[in-house]
Amino acid sequence: MPKSQYVDPGKAFEAGYIHFEDIPVCQYNKTLKEELKLYSKDDMMRIYRDMAIIREFETMLNEVKVKSEYNGVQYNNPGPAHLSIGQEASAVGEAYCLDINDFSFGSHRSHGEILAKGLSSIHKLDDKELYDIMKEFLDGAVLSVVEKHMNAGGNVKELAINFLLYGALAEIFARKTGFNRGLGGSMHAFFIPFGLMPNNAIVGASAPIALGAALYKRSNHKPGIIISNCGDGATGRGPVLESLNFASMDQITKLWGMDGKFDDGGLPILFNVFNNHYGMGGQTRGETMGFDMAARLGAGFNPSQMHAERVNGYDPLAVIDAVTRKKKLLLEGKGPALLDVVTYRVSGHSPSDSSTYRTQEEIDAWRAADPILAFKTKLILGGVATEAEFAKLHEDITNRMTEIMKLAINDEISPRMDLEREPDAISSIMFSNQKVKSLDPTREAEMLMPKEECPRVKEIKGKVRTAKDKNGKPVSKMKMYNICDGLFEPIIDKFYDDPTLIAYGEDNRDWGGAFGVYKKMTEAVPYHRFFNSPISESAIVGSAVGYAMCGGRAIVELMYADFIGCAGDEIFNQMAKWQAMSAGILKMPIVLRVSVGSKYGAQHSQDWTALCSHIPGLKVVFPATPTDAKGLMTTALEGTDPVVFFESQRIYGIGEEFVEGGVPEGHFEIPMGEPDIKRAGKDVTIVTIGAVLYRALEAAKTLEEQYGISAEIIDARSIVPFNYEKVIESVKKTGKVLFVGDACERNSVMRDMASNITEMCFDYLDGPAVVVGSRNWITPAFELEKSFFPQADWIIDALHEKIMPIPGYVPKNNFTDIEKVDRAKKGL
Amino acid sequence: MVNKNIFSLAHAAYIRERDTKGNIRMATVVIMPRQGQSVESCIITAFNKKVGDTVDVGEVLFSYETDKSSFDEPAPVAGKILAVWREEGDDVPCLENVLAIGEDGEDVSAFAPKGEEEAETATAPEATPEVKAEAAPAATAESTEAPAATVGVGSISPRARLLAEKTNADLLKAVPTGPNGRIIERDVQKLVDMGLTVSPAAKDAYTEAKAGSGINGRVTLSDLSAASAAAEESAAPAPVAEFEDVKLPNIRKVIAKSMHASLSNMAQLTLNTSFDATEIMELRASLKSGAEKLGLANITLNDMVLFAVSRVILNHKALNAHYLGDTMRYFNNVNLGIAVDTERGLMVPTVFAAEKLSLNDLSRAAKSVIKDAQSGTINPDLLKGASFTVTNLGSLGIESFTPVINPPQTGILGVTTITRRVKEEDGEDVTYPAMGLSLTFDHRALDGAPAAKFLKELCFALENFDLLLTK
Repeated sequence: MPKSQYVDPGKAFEAGYIHFEDIPVCQYNKTLKEELKLYSKDDMMRIYRDMAIIREFETMLNEVKVKSEYNGVQYNNPGPAHLSIGQEASAVGEAYCLDINDFSFGSHRSHGEILAKGLSSIHKLDDKELYDIMKEFLDGAVLSVVEKHMNAGGNVKELAINFLLYGALAEIFARKTGFNRGLGGSMHAFFIPFGLMPNNAIVGASAPIALGAALYKRSNHKPGIIISNCGDGATGRGPVLESLNFASMDQITKLWGMDGKFDDGGLPILFNVFNNHYGMGGQTRGETMGFDMAARLGAGFNPSQMHAERVNGYDPLAVIDAVTRKKKLLLEGKGPALLDVVTYRVSGHSPSDSSTYRTQEEIDAWRAADPILAFKTKLILGGVATEAEFAKLHEDITNRMTEIMKLAINDEISPRMDLEREPDAISSIMFSNQKVKSLDPTREAEMLMPKEECPRVKEIKGKVRTAKDKNGKPVSKMKMYNICDGLFEPIIDKFYDDPTLIAYGEDNRDWGGAFGVYKKMTEAVPYHRFFNSPISESAIVGSAVGYAMCGGRAIVELMYADFIGCAGDEIFNQMAKWQAMSAGILKMPIVLRVSVGSKYGAQHSQDWTALCSHIPGLKVVFPATPTDAKGLMTTALEGTDPVVFFESQRIYGIGEEFVEGGVPEGHFEIPMGEPDIKRAGKDVTIVTIGAVLYRALEAAKTLEEQYGISAEIIDARSIVPFNYEKVIESVKKTGKVLFVGDACERNSVMRDMASNITEMCFDYLDGPAVVVGSRNWITPAFELEKSFFPQADWIIDALHEKIMPIPGYVPKNNFTDIEKVDRAKKGL
Repeated sequence: MVNKNIFSLAHAAYIRERDTKGNIRMATVVIMPRQGQSVESCIITAFNKKVGDTVDVGEVLFSYETDKSSFDEPAPVAGKILAVWREEGDDVPCLENVLAIGEDGEDVSAFAPKGEEEAETATAPEATPEVKAEAAPAATAESTEAPAATVGVGSISPRARLLAEKTNADLLKAVPTGPNGRIIERDVQKLVDMGLTVSPAAKDAYTEAKAGSGINGRVTLSDLSAASAAAEESAAPAPVAEFEDVKLPNIRKVIAKSMHASLSNMAQLTLNTSFDATEIMELRASLKSGAEKLGLANITLNDMVLFAVSRVILNHKALNAHYLGDTMRYFNNVNLGIAVDTERGLMVPTVFAAEKLSLNDLSRAAKSVIKDAQSGTINPDLLKGASFTVTNLGSLGIESFTPVINPPQTGILGVTTITRRVKEEDGEDVTYPAMGLSLTFDHRALDGAPAAKFLKELCFALENFDLLLTK
């Protein structure tokens, strides 16, 4: 909603038509003779060789899977093998056009894509560069195996082919010498130095990640294009459609370059659909989709129709022709683009596929059109090569593959990770735990004005950094430094410190974020670093993952925490897992801001800290004071791990009540995982999560003044990681502990903490560790919220009824075991 | 003097109802508390309130008794008595609902206890044969009302247990103020503040599960059940009521049954003797004047007899024993029963491991249990487990009598008044204070001569009390 673009009611209602251009369908018709002007014999033979290598690699995997044997070598592989036999020409044709600056992302059926892109990169890199890459990778762990045990005849490129095949196969067989130490496996193998980016076991999940990579190229002015590969089945997925739209959004060409300075055009991304006609068994054309041809999708996203085109994916030269043209468009700033590459998977979805959804006749017809056979015939008939040359090539490939397999299944040469001898091998890569001020110190951050001129920075300068003034009087809301300011300060600082930082989400820019955290930041930060995203939560988080994979830092916002559900896969499977699945090769410096609402009922008021902290690989924090908000945001933005940053709409406007002298100025970090004693006491410990801190303080006041009970309040601040020592110390002193939070009580973080404290402090407890959470209901309307969210008197009631009856106290709420059993019986 | 449990809110259950305006109201259901681990049901002796009466917090709702003690149940909340589900004389299983307090118009019918017929049809899967008749209702209550079963477990917090171990607080005297009758830290602290501690040795005897089998010596549930099984074995078989249509006080029933069983089932006979009480009377006189200075208890002649018994009887193990039909159980400790006359009738509280207590400690321990028995606050668990009993009618001027054994013990020593007797000393008749002892023993368990030998050694010990003390 930029003011520069006037929404004219006169124009909005103007009569007219939407015009579509024709979308080319399999229009390639060059002859071999014409093509031989472009490609040498070597090129042609290399195209053939790459297809044949992929075919043999997958044939080997298939044989191992169905016969537990390949070429006389026995092996049992319990892991997955999603093969793409039949699709080799599509993969090789695409990869032929790419160099190492072009990043490709793929699907769970991506062995072919990996090998094709790898082989293409090997061909394009010079020997020294190539050797250095292999030598540096995992300290030479992969290279040393093929160097030592295979003879490449002193040829670096041959060595590199062995390296690629072995690294991929060892990864598929979960070996420590695989590209990702065996932690990624068949569906996630990748090799970044070749521009070969992660593939994904979640159908369609690569699209938003690839989108993020394109944002990285665009916002950091990096060379190269992005390929987002997926199957035709994946086009039914929301994240894919969100990404097609996100990549096409008008602002990239209309607003990002408005001052001429950063005018790089549209996103350099090619959405490439390997259209093999089936999503597992569902037939997209004629059954599960309505597009008839996937290329039609392009017409739905922007006036250029994403330059969509349908090409013959059984002819590598047709694919090369199309991808070459698309790449040129993208480099000219005319992206995004879409290709519908028609192909066919002769192999089953997996070895257990009995092809109940298609006829043998259909499979046989496609086998007859086999792209490798057809290309060979074409080259022989065209006089490019002889049958004997092909026979020799095949023999070499089979021998090489057999050798590679023997190495990859040898437990001594290719051991698996030994978690008994190295119990911390996985623990040590769950988080990268680094501190980095700037992810690209070679560049100045692109900003529109010096920091001190930023209107918001100036505004904050004039604010009082405590909740009360020197005379103990409450500071007026307008003058008081609040939690929004605490969040803003480290973010604006990081914009100036780290040129790679970008921030986006819904209504982030001119609106200033739905809750005003980014108010008056628009003036200082250029569009390509700070923009409004479409309402596409999957694409917002997924693109942040891709942005981080490429080496940038992103802070993205989902507005309400409830929208975590809309980005479930991106948060739980992508953001959380890639550091460890890559064996620590990838970093994931993302801060995901989510805000816990109130007043807006059932779908806008939920504290989902439990969901996020349940998933290994995410850091989760929930500050409740301006100082903690600032300190934790600073730490999150210095780190290299994904952080889900919970905020609460109840307390954005609250001032600093705890830190004497107010919120510290300048750079100020609070270590993640350290809870904070907000009120010292000796009789009972109350651990709070989030905004409930202030209700616990009220309860503590009542307990002290009316009943002489002194409560110690510990604000958890962080949830993952979490240092229990301070809580243990307090519980040893008081013997009584309650965990309070706004999340629904069942399976909440409070439950988890209470259970841990019971284990760790059992002998010190004078009663059970008690949880006070919200009811296991929907959140009702604001007027009824006091019966849903924990209130001060609930805390006292729970103490009285479950831990230590207070003489003379009459509880209002029922926390008895009888009531609890009854509620649980009813699922409440 | 009854046990006023001001925190008995812990015994209350809640229900929630909504009035026509939708406001939440609560009625409070008062249940029959569980007074001690071994108590399964209690008899309501009197209702002080009836349906429709208004009560204030702390007002007595009803009185009830276990087989040995009496208690008053105070109102946990103010309000109107909405329902009373029991009658006077009813034997109510512990933790079952008795009455409800609330406001007019609240429906508490959902909390009416299950009908007796229904209760009786349910089976008590693990009730032992000895306690079948009385235990069935309680067990049924637990098996049909899940919530009651869940709240019955766990009577002391780990923290309170730890503090008790550190301070030697006498947990048997703790008044639980935690939820569900749980002893919590402040209850133990109160014991410590009041000086209610026990010697570590005695405590061992109380809590046989002290060294737990759990991690860090933690006492686990299995330890507790092992201990209670052992306790059950060593205790007298629970008496079974036979007089259903006569509403005797519970305690009278127990005494009657116990005495009758004793005399009809055993081969009892009594030996009488006396000893020269000069030395213990002198000691008593000097203690009386010096006790305060030395911080000693008011040690009585009876305490000295108890002390002498506790030292001598271990040499005569057939008297420090239980006769169990085909076996004899010999005790390694002297668990001394002390017969006490109370308003409600005869009670016999026990001082466990008396042989390990000094005279002063034994005197204190005896006074403590006697006082509790008289006030009716004695923990029922302390009313069993004795291995030998001493009864004293001396203060009533009795010179000789036939004490009745408390089965399955094998003996009971009666102590009588002091009379002056004449004896010859250096050819002259001199008078001396003579104290009589009447030992009843079970001839099934031992013969006359061994019993007489015990008496002889006991007399010698009492006549040479200084020697005994220095031993």
